[in-house]
Amino acid sequence: MITHQVTIIPDAIDISVPHGENLLRAVHAAGVHVNSSCGGQGTCGKCRVRILEGSVQGGKTEKLSGDDFAKGYRLACLSTVESNLRLEIPPDSRLHRGVLDRTHAGSPTGRLASARQEDMAGIDLKRPVIEKKFISVDPPTMEDNASDLARTRRALKKQHGLSDIGIDYTVLLKLGRTIRENEWRATVTISNNCSGAICGGTFPHITRIQPGDTTGRHYAIAIDVGTTTVCGELIDLVKGEAIAASSEYNGQIKFGEDVITRMVFAQKKDGLYLLQKSVTDSINAVIDSLLTKADVERADISHLGAAGNTVMTHILLGLDPRYIRSAPYTPTVNEMPPVRAIDVGIGLPGHVRLTVMPLIASYVGGDIVAGVLASGMHRRDATTLFIDIGTNGEIVIGNREWLVTASCSAGPAFEGGGIRHGMRATFGAIEEIRIDPATCKPVVFTIGGERPKGICGSGIINIVAELLEAGLLEPNGRFRTDMTTGRLRQGRDGMEYVLVEAERTGIDGDIVITEVDIDNFMRAKGALYAGYQTLLESVGLSWTALDEVIIAGAFGSYVDIEKSIITGLFPDLPVERFSFIGNSSLEGARLAILSRELMDEAGAIAGKMTNIELSDHTPYMDHYVASLFFPHTETRNFPTVMERFKTMGRSCGNGKGDGT
Amino acid sequence: MAFETPKVNYSGTIREITLGTGPKAVTVGGSTSYPFHLFEGTMPHPPRIAMEVLDHRPEDWPEAAIAPFAEVLDNPAAWAKKNVDEYGADMIALQMASIDPNGLNRSAREAADVAKKVIAAVDVPVILWGVANHEKDTEVLRILAEECEGKNLALGPIEEGDYKQIGAGALAYKHVAVASSPIDVNLAKQLNILLGNLGVPADKILVDPTTGPLGYGLEYTYSVMERDRMAALTQEDEKLQYPLICNVGSEVWKTKEAKIAAADDPKLGDAKERGILLESITAMSLLISGADILIMRHPESVKLIRKMIKNLME
Repeated sequence: MITHQVTIIPDAIDISVPHGENLLRAVHAAGVHVNSSCGGQGTCGKCRVRILEGSVQGGKTEKLSGDDFAKGYRLACLSTVESNLRLEIPPDSRLHRGVLDRTHAGSPTGRLASARQEDMAGIDLKRPVIEKKFISVDPPTMEDNASDLARTRRALKKQHGLSDIGIDYTVLLKLGRTIRENEWRATVTISNNCSGAICGGTFPHITRIQPGDTTGRHYAIAIDVGTTTVCGELIDLVKGEAIAASSEYNGQIKFGEDVITRMVFAQKKDGLYLLQKSVTDSINAVIDSLLTKADVERADISHLGAAGNTVMTHILLGLDPRYIRSAPYTPTVNEMPPVRAIDVGIGLPGHVRLTVMPLIASYVGGDIVAGVLASGMHRRDATTLFIDIGTNGEIVIGNREWLVTASCSAGPAFEGGGIRHGMRATFGAIEEIRIDPATCKPVVFTIGGERPKGICGSGIINIVAELLEAGLLEPNGRFRTDMTTGRLRQGRDGMEYVLVEAERTGIDGDIVITEVDIDNFMRAKGALYAGYQTLLESVGLSWTALDEVIIAGAFGSYVDIEKSIITGLFPDLPVERFSFIGNSSLEGARLAILSRELMDEAGAIAGKMTNIELSDHTPYMDHYVASLFFPHTETRNFPTVMERFKTMGRSCGNGKGDGT
Repeated sequence: MAFETPKVNYSGTIREITLGTGPKAVTVGGSTSYPFHLFEGTMPHPPRIAMEVLDHRPEDWPEAAIAPFAEVLDNPAAWAKKNVDEYGADMIALQMASIDPNGLNRSAREAADVAKKVIAAVDVPVILWGVANHEKDTEVLRILAEECEGKNLALGPIEEGDYKQIGAGALAYKHVAVASSPIDVNLAKQLNILLGNLGVPADKILVDPTTGPLGYGLEYTYSVMERDRMAALTQEDEKLQYPLICNVGSEVWKTKEAKIAAADDPKLGDAKERGILLESITAMSLLISGADILIMRHPESVKLIRKMIKNLME
């Protein structure tokens, strides 16, 4: 077999690649990440690489301009290796992991959902699902030579009031030795009973026994398994609080950016295994980082509690997601008994139990159950709209009496997908612009203040709102054509607005927002808004019935509420009713680990939430079409936005453009 | 207790729109109830019929549709006049099919000159109808808008893709804009908002919901028009309170069922009668769902529908 040497810069990695191998696959195999939203189908145009020396077969597409092609840019997924190569991965094709840990400098209009404290009154956050009990076992005598297990159980009953405690076979294997090891003093770890199938309907049972008193070293890890990122927290179960946090990109990204492409990939040979391994690798990396940060021993971890959407949960557990994808959309399980973390490939000792948040339906998962749990909306009289914005937008409306939910496919626009210069919220992403009404030129703000590389999801919202307010963009998402400003021009996808001229960017070329980008954003926000509307109507309520709106999700925390309302992403309600909750999936996972009561509540939430399948709901499509307008066709529902447009006078231009 | 008819509670009114000028000007709209629900509200202006004229000799019209106009087929102005004088047309709808780039592709200037002759030949309002090709319609309608300033013509179809260009012409020279959208309430409303933003006054807009003829989507058009009217009259949706115009004739007469000769499919019956009935049934259904202006072709269908309107108004 002929092989070629490929040098990847700036990583300075040399790999040996068989002749004819797909370049994207080769680069991923070398452990170098290159963005690939579409999973290597050649449709997203994100895996641009630059060939410095040598040549590849293919890699040409309309996603690359002729100019870029001449400079050596190719799409890695469409290229096959034909010779030795020197290959550059440009910055816009890479993930930047530093941003995962960034602390955002104050969301513009946000406040954190703070009502939770009062909701949590009466909940004991030091009564974890998995607990440790120190016991002194009576030594046996000739008169009392009951079995070691009987005496262990007797000690649990006498000293802790716990009866009917079972025991794992694996613990039995070392029971006799362990209780004798430290003068009949030992610590047992008990996996507790909780209702429903989450705990398998099992009785409390001993999952571990250690000599001496180890109750002071009792930890758990909460994990939010997101489609894009895996976030974790290390929880000190004695203190009842998180002591370290860490996150990683979900390693599955290289197989596609959304759950659909992942499910498709799972059907390929070894696909499911590769996906499961990628996500457990990412989880393991998070765990390593948590243990290092907090200086905690791996052996002292007792519990791993995860929350993820239905597809992520299935893949984590190694369950084939095949039937989720097609009608009538059935998951394999909604509630999963605890399993040994080690059995799914997570690098934690055999006694560690993995629990996952219960699921509701194929496209409404444990992350939403966790989110509702964390928001406390299911405990309040007030009616709340809970929105988790992402590739899949999940929506919940309800209060203590009832909960309805729906999932709408918003597409990847909020994460920068389907946007010409879209990118994730990493350094150099444009997150805000201000348009000078005199010149129609924007002032651009980027994350980290770096040279602009592209536009992130929250940036798109702000840009569209600003363009609308400046009067450069019509409510149907088309740019004005009667303006003379150098920043509006005819591009290859119709009209476009130049945000940053080439010489000021961190990439090769101008950064623009096109009418196609705006269309994609409009569809994304339209899908969400139509979702809220359909859910509200399904319970016979109007917008005014919403007492509170909670925005969840990492992305959600960076969203500017007022600008979002201008674009019609959120309903036009008083800003005070909105609050952010951040990563509510992770928070819910943590709460359920800390409290048996809350773990039970998660089960109850999943049980009482009614899922509305929007794809099967006729009015949804109608609402969707009505939402494909800025802010909305039903302008009456956006009184403050209409008022704002009126008073702003849509100032930009009016023939005053400088013509440069 | 005496029986009381349940009544719908209306909160909106359809705007009154006037076409043309002088004694033969036509005003439509003004309804305060669903069509012909005269027990619930008023219809100050009954629905009106515009008769079609083609701006070139028709090539694919069935015999039944050609016969009434045989001697004027080559002269659109005479055709229009015949429609008014002989068939009593309230209005003329000039189908400017000759400008179609995929057909005759007549130049804008040439087509405009023909149209101007038609406009000059009659004293009733004229509706100018393009071919839904944005560039070509814009070109022709802009010339006509300017050169016929003050005639208060109706210019259509105006779609999202050309509303700025044609809308600006209507606005500048005070004509009526026919806002055309593909059988969808929301899209209709969006276009009305856009025209409003452009500055087209509220009393200069007609809505064309796009007509599906009998057997070819009539039920879709029917439902959408019904919903238009519900939103306008019961939900005070002012962006939908415009009279509706339906392009019936050309949609009906191009269907296979209206064209096929009796000899080719005897079970379909007499071709002339069939065509007239297809057009009439489509028109009747649309009247009942809310049409204010019907563009129709055959004098016999026109006669039937006129009678129906008269009966329903009594």
